[in-house]
Amino acid sequence: METVFSIAGWAFVGASLRYWLGLQLPTGPDFPWATIIVNLLGSGLLAWLSHADRLTARWPSALTVGLGVGGVGAFTTFSTFSVATLKLLMTQHWGTAAIYMGMTLVGGFIMSVLGVWIARHWFSFPVAEQ
Amino acid sequence: MAVGVGLGAAIGALARYAVTRLLQPLTQNRWPVATLLINWLGSGLLGALTAASLSHWLVVCLGTGVLGGFTTYSTFSHEMVMLADQRRYGALISYLILSVGGGLALAALGFWGMLHR
Repeated sequence: METVFSIAGWAFVGASLRYWLGLQLPTGPDFPWATIIVNLLGSGLLAWLSHADRLTARWPSALTVGLGVGGVGAFTTFSTFSVATLKLLMTQHWGTAAIYMGMTLVGGFIMSVLGVWIARHWFSFPVAEQ
Repeated sequence: MAVGVGLGAAIGALARYAVTRLLQPLTQNRWPVATLLINWLGSGLLGALTAASLSHWLVVCLGTGVLGGFTTYSTFSHEMVMLADQRRYGALISYLILSVGGGLALAALGFWGMLHR
């Protein structure tokens, strides 16, 4: 039950941060910067959190699950990525759409690899590596 | 408005958690079908919401809040890296193409479906 409350609470925080960042950055019809930043940052954070077992072993599981599923999960978003790409395609901004997709997919992948790498090198039990 | 977004996202994230838990026995470290279905459904619904003539307040609470909290990019990206880590490149490519292509197609379907309802 505390996991449920933790997910809900952290999702509240994560989504509010995403909404706030969206208001701060220019998200006009030109380029959806806010969604890129949110998704890249979140990809790195979730990958790191999922593998930083030396750190999370000391935390209650409700906190780890809440932060990952709720906080980072709600901070990042796939639906806006789809619809923002669709809008760029419908307005025939082919190049911008390709750059947006490329930056999100390749950037997200690199950030996730980086998150896993950092966690495995400095935040995981040596035993877990073998 | 921010409170509406936060509350909506809490509902969305819990729904995602429930769907993931429900589909867990089905997926068992094979192919991340739960995240795919969640992101598909969320993309389709956000496409429909974009074309619906609702008040700005409701669109932000439902779209940025509920659907933003329901769908997730971080898990999608992490699952792709895990598939690459396990050298399951076929699963990786199919997951990538189905997620992005399907998400786009469903967003378009939701958008046009709502426009011409």
